[in-house]
Amino acid sequence: MSRTSLLTAGAVSVALLASACGGSAVPPSAASASGSAAPGGTVQLTGAGSTFDFPLFSKVFKDYQTKTGVQVNYQSVGSGSGVTQLTKRTVDFGASDFPLNDEQTKAAEAAGGPVVHVPITMGAVSVGYDLPIDGLTLDGPTLAGIYLGTITKWNDPRVAALNPGVTMPSTPIAVVHRSDGSGTTFIFTSYLSAVSPEWKSKVGASGTVNWPVGIGAKGSEGVSGQVTNTPGSIGYFELAYAKQNNIKSVTMKNAAGKLVEPSVKGASDAGAGAAANMPADLKAVFVNAPGDTSYPIAGFSWIIVFKHQKDKVKGQELIDLLKYVVTTGQQSAEPLYYAPLPKAVQDLDLKAISTITVGQ
Amino acid sequence: MASPALAVRPALALGRRRVVDRAMSVLFVAATVAAVTPLLLVVGYIAVQGAHGLSIALVTQLPAPVGEPGGGMGNAFVGSAILIAVASAIALPVGILSGVYLSEFGGGRFGDVLRFFTDVLTGVPSIVVGIVAYTILVVPLRSFSALSGGFALSIIMIPTVARTTEEALKRVPLTIREASLALGVHEWTTILRVVIPTGLAGIVTGAMLGIARISGETAPLLFTAFGSAFWQQGLLKPIAAVPLQIFQYAISPYTDWHEQAWAAALILMLLVLGLNVAIRAVTRTGFRTVR
Repeated sequence: MSRTSLLTAGAVSVALLASACGGSAVPPSAASASGSAAPGGTVQLTGAGSTFDFPLFSKVFKDYQTKTGVQVNYQSVGSGSGVTQLTKRTVDFGASDFPLNDEQTKAAEAAGGPVVHVPITMGAVSVGYDLPIDGLTLDGPTLAGIYLGTITKWNDPRVAALNPGVTMPSTPIAVVHRSDGSGTTFIFTSYLSAVSPEWKSKVGASGTVNWPVGIGAKGSEGVSGQVTNTPGSIGYFELAYAKQNNIKSVTMKNAAGKLVEPSVKGASDAGAGAAANMPADLKAVFVNAPGDTSYPIAGFSWIIVFKHQKDKVKGQELIDLLKYVVTTGQQSAEPLYYAPLPKAVQDLDLKAISTITVGQ
Repeated sequence: MASPALAVRPALALGRRRVVDRAMSVLFVAATVAAVTPLLLVVGYIAVQGAHGLSIALVTQLPAPVGEPGGGMGNAFVGSAILIAVASAIALPVGILSGVYLSEFGGGRFGDVLRFFTDVLTGVPSIVVGIVAYTILVVPLRSFSALSGGFALSIIMIPTVARTTEEALKRVPLTIREASLALGVHEWTTILRVVIPTGLAGIVTGAMLGIARISGETAPLLFTAFGSAFWQQGLLKPIAAVPLQIFQYAISPYTDWHEQAWAAALILMLLVLGLNVAIRAVTRTGFRTVR
């Protein structure tokens, strides 16, 4: 090993470091790749949270950058983590599939004042299964029974009654649920609480619950993987995972007694009803929604921001971004298996966004 | 006195020894194969899965959103290089100097304590290091940053560099030091001009081992470097990194993202393998210099 080669290695790392220290000195290829950068330096907004929102955001924020030059860096660290980061004020906005609870609200208010919940999209939670049967049908109480452990075999009379003309196998039901805190779990357990008093009293609705039965898997990718690999299994995850991985989904009997498969339209129809009696803070849960075509396991996802933005420039950029996401950005929803916000909700969102103040 | 029985015995013993020798050889070869197989399986599987996702765009372009073809993670490769540079800028001086101290002056009680702490640091889970960097850099600065990511990586790198440097310098023969001192050279000049140049190959090995150690780290970057969809924005802004990007793509439901994750994993693995091969080359030349 000669001395010169060590010096070269040193020089290379110093050069790298120098380029890194150069602040906004982006490589020449960056300017062409990122389209038109806003003159006078690029504004960058940082957000963190829901993994469910990530694919939609990656598309919407890219479009927004092409249009305005504003870079929005969103990282999918999970809903709970996104809320924590907002509270620690390390990010400009958080994204979550469940609204802040009282404890989280208190912590956030202590850190940066009141927060605003802005519903930005809706999604259906698909109940996937692995059985050599197509079009398995379940209703709420039966699904709750399975997750409570009171229904343990696929040929249980309660399951069989919902699937007339189908010979149900006698295999045991392998229940799969999330092991990590999740907005998907919040929607799923909210639904089970809505349809089963026993579930409500014994387990309840939350991002993390004490599961009576089943095995845990991390993330929707974990649950969908587990369901694919375990014959006789059942699990829940966002619609996109079911569609992309070709996993069979349970047809649910909704509040109106009609059979509906999970779909973007089913979630939209369910959400449309929610718009009519939206609470003032927009923290609405619309599981088990009325209507013939409503899919019962669906919910909002929110962007959560502080009501008062101290940084004038960033605050204004954030307001513009939110306006874009809840209006124009909704066009990107459907191809990615998200349900676009109904017009009524968009209007409520714009009203909520208009309450955000900037400056000292 | 030589009875036939006695004459036969050594032959028998030799035969048994040969059998035992064979058996043990087979056993050791089998154990070696068992140890190497996982590596070959991993390398082979990643190569098969990652090969068809390889493209120039992967290392030059920015990520494309879901549903749009193309795109890459060029920003993540640049980001990883910057993170490694920052980590090296912190860890190499600290690591090498403490290695020199441990080897040359570390005989006393303080040296033992220092050595013990260095060893403990090696065993600290990398996620814990990430939390430390998050607490002392990210939260006070109110921003995720390349700096905090590089800092976290440097903490993981320091013990590797320090201990390898120490071992390398300890191997420098006492006779060479004595020759220098006998010529009336100061101790510090001896260390700087004689001991360190002689052990340089070992020090470089330590630096490379340190870099190889940190280039695949994901956990300490989750809440420090944070990740980014854009080209780097400076040391105080969030930055992309290859392991983070692989992690994020791997847990998504989309096959084109999975493909990119595999391809990036392949590149990352080849880089680390290449670094290890380079380490071998350096060590070999190093031995020649010493002789």
